[in-house]
Amino acid sequence: MDAILAFLTVFTQPELLLLVGLGTFAGVYIGAIPGLSVTMAVSILISFTFSWDVYPAISLMIGIYMGGVYGGSRTAILLNIPGAPSAIATALDGYPMAQRGEAGTAIGVTTVMSFIGGFIGIAVLAVAAPFVSEFALKFQPRDYMLLAVLGILLVGSLSSGSLVKGIFAGALGIAIGAVGRDPLTFTERFTFDLQIMQGGISFIAVMIGMFGVSEALMQLHHVEKDAVRQKITRIVPSLATVRKHLPLSLQTSTIGVIIGALPGTGGDIAALMAYDHAKRVTKKPEVPFGKGAMEGLVAPETANNAAVGGAFIPMMTLGIPGDAVTAIMIGALFIHGLNPGPMLMIDKPDMFWFIVGALVMANFFMLFFGLTGIKLFTKIVEMPRSVLIPLIMLLSIVGAYAVNNSISDVYWMLGFGFFGYFMRHYGYPLGPVILGVILSRLLDDNWRRAIISEREDLGRFFYGIVTSPLSLVLFIAVILIFVSQTPLWRRGKEKLFGTQVEEARQ
Amino acid sequence: MKRFIIGAASALVLGVSAAGAQDYPSKEIQGIIQWGAGGSTDTVMRSVTPHAEEVLKGTVVMQNMTGGVGAIALNHVATQAADGYTLLMGAENPLLYKVMGLGDKDYSDFIPVNILARGTPILVANPAAPFDDYAGMIAYIKEHPGELRVGATGPGGLPSVVTAMINTVEGKMDVISVPYDGDGPALTALQGGAIDVMPAVLGAAIEGIRAGKMKPLAVFDVKANDKLPEVKPVTDFNAGYNTYLPWGPFFGVFVAKGTPDDVVAKLSAAYAEGAKAPDFVELMDNRGFSMLSISGAEAEAFLAKWQQGTTWLLQDAGLTKASPEEFGIARPSK
Repeated sequence: MDAILAFLTVFTQPELLLLVGLGTFAGVYIGAIPGLSVTMAVSILISFTFSWDVYPAISLMIGIYMGGVYGGSRTAILLNIPGAPSAIATALDGYPMAQRGEAGTAIGVTTVMSFIGGFIGIAVLAVAAPFVSEFALKFQPRDYMLLAVLGILLVGSLSSGSLVKGIFAGALGIAIGAVGRDPLTFTERFTFDLQIMQGGISFIAVMIGMFGVSEALMQLHHVEKDAVRQKITRIVPSLATVRKHLPLSLQTSTIGVIIGALPGTGGDIAALMAYDHAKRVTKKPEVPFGKGAMEGLVAPETANNAAVGGAFIPMMTLGIPGDAVTAIMIGALFIHGLNPGPMLMIDKPDMFWFIVGALVMANFFMLFFGLTGIKLFTKIVEMPRSVLIPLIMLLSIVGAYAVNNSISDVYWMLGFGFFGYFMRHYGYPLGPVILGVILSRLLDDNWRRAIISEREDLGRFFYGIVTSPLSLVLFIAVILIFVSQTPLWRRGKEKLFGTQVEEARQ
Repeated sequence: MKRFIIGAASALVLGVSAAGAQDYPSKEIQGIIQWGAGGSTDTVMRSVTPHAEEVLKGTVVMQNMTGGVGAIALNHVATQAADGYTLLMGAENPLLYKVMGLGDKDYSDFIPVNILARGTPILVANPAAPFDDYAGMIAYIKEHPGELRVGATGPGGLPSVVTAMINTVEGKMDVISVPYDGDGPALTALQGGAIDVMPAVLGAAIEGIRAGKMKPLAVFDVKANDKLPEVKPVTDFNAGYNTYLPWGPFFGVFVAKGTPDDVVAKLSAAYAEGAKAPDFVELMDNRGFSMLSISGAEAEAFLAKWQQGTTWLLQDAGLTKASPEEFGIARPSK
């Protein structure tokens, strides 16, 4: 009974309702602007809401979080510039749709699917939080390493065209991620004794440059061409469309919740893995992937919003952050006199149910703000390119500077922007570069932790893999996915079944 | 009228640049936090600063500047004008930069505004570990050399100092040291069984201990902690630790050397007052930190003693890149 009352707190107090709404609205726009991140907004809010009560402060933060994760998709679809790392996969099929004049439909599907994903994430948080957090704790360094390897195999999905070029791009990303002081031993790597290299290269700067600046430069080729007129007659997807994608969205939401709940991995990796999963299970998409397939939007958007609920699972049950934003929220709870940890659920169950309630509310607000104002938003893409291109450049510079208030990030961003332009020009895909940067640390740190834990003995390392059910499942998944991408697999399949096996993966 | 406004505005500009501490702060103060959002340093600074702002009657805009184990933020503040408008909000580890080869600047290039509080290290283990206290752990390590996995956070981190102490007092221990990004991720790994033992700051482990998710082996202090009165101090197991304890990480606010004395005095007064705020005191107490709130010569002496003790401990354990002697850090007299 108390739980229900706590859950309903946010619905019954107009002030809290307003704050969640305000937060979600602000979040959608903060998320949409590359460089303005939810993490940054929430950490600024800690100081801003210092003297408030804990409920209003958390309400505002949750609104921003939910809205921001969704907002990243806006610019990804309209401009091919992901507003946040978790929207990288969204751009792959969202932007081609906008180019066909279907931006309205794309945004509509994205919004509804984000809502569904968000809802599943919250439901798992409410019902199975202790169970999922126990599972997440089981992940050992070697499991994180295998997960990262699994992630790197996504290069195949993200490279349209030449796989070799995709692998090159992924390797480049991993190398970029390794620059700076190694976090485990503090040894300098690829720093050339330069001061600015010591802190490493900001991954957000790479992302903004590669997607923002290089896109603006590409657009320069078509300055004269008229912008695509957008049809915005039907924004809310039909029930039939939603029902058709429901099985996929359930699967990708599950990926989102689990990846979100793992400490150290968040919505960005979840969205990319979900995209790959969609490509794998969708036998006959109406439109091929990378050309504007609806499934290519459904998967990452359900997954990254499901990851929000997922990230709260270890935070609420163990006091362990599921991602960067929940790490800051744990700090906020401390400042407001609470002690986040395993006892929080027992000492203060109200707090748990209040957060669940606020998340549900934020999810509804996200749906509302997502489906309104689309007409205005699509006008952005209809702007003349001579206005749009300088605007993108300006936003990229401001965004890159805002990440760390550091001018060197702006130089990195511009450098990677020009580099990205030439990569595109010569047919190198950019997605794998970002994938490599995201996974670099996860792979490197955990591989070293895993092998150090076994006294640098490979035999013991593999013994560990085959004796742990979790590691074994991940290991088999890695092997299967790897083999299924080789010609050997296809030939073997033809021999076995005697039929021409359709090649779903390009 | 227009000319008057321009005149007034330029007078104001001139006034600001010429004015000393009597009207400090006349603009926003930047607070550079050495560590990421949500970490201990971040939490401490964001809780105390609003109270100091009230006393200062000014605004402190805090931002996190991470990277290079805090060296990026430290170097940034060191290169700003020494006018009291850029504060460094940091922890203990810059005092180890020089000997660890992580940088050529440390707090000797700064003036302490306030050393707020000190943490107490505690040794915790996974509940399934086959021992229940410090003595049991030492016996286990001796019986099973090279099997126990101990968490670490890189050279110069709290675990490395505690491990160096153990090796110095008990003799070299044969354990596997597994590095993590910080005590948060390492304590997560401890609960999942990836590591067996972790030296951590008491505040980070206390909730896990209360919930039975990890078990305390010993408090690294000369007396038991009020928060966990049933856990024995490590000096009860081996009196040899008295040489090195009490020791602990700390948090402090600093300004670059050369900042006018009256500005430092104003800031020190503000932070000393802010540190008295009941909700801040309660927060620090909940997290098991001992309040210090010291400044001036007392803080300088604290820093010097801390640096001498810790750098020489690490030097003797063979963990340093350069000897403290090279930087004029004297060996502590016992």
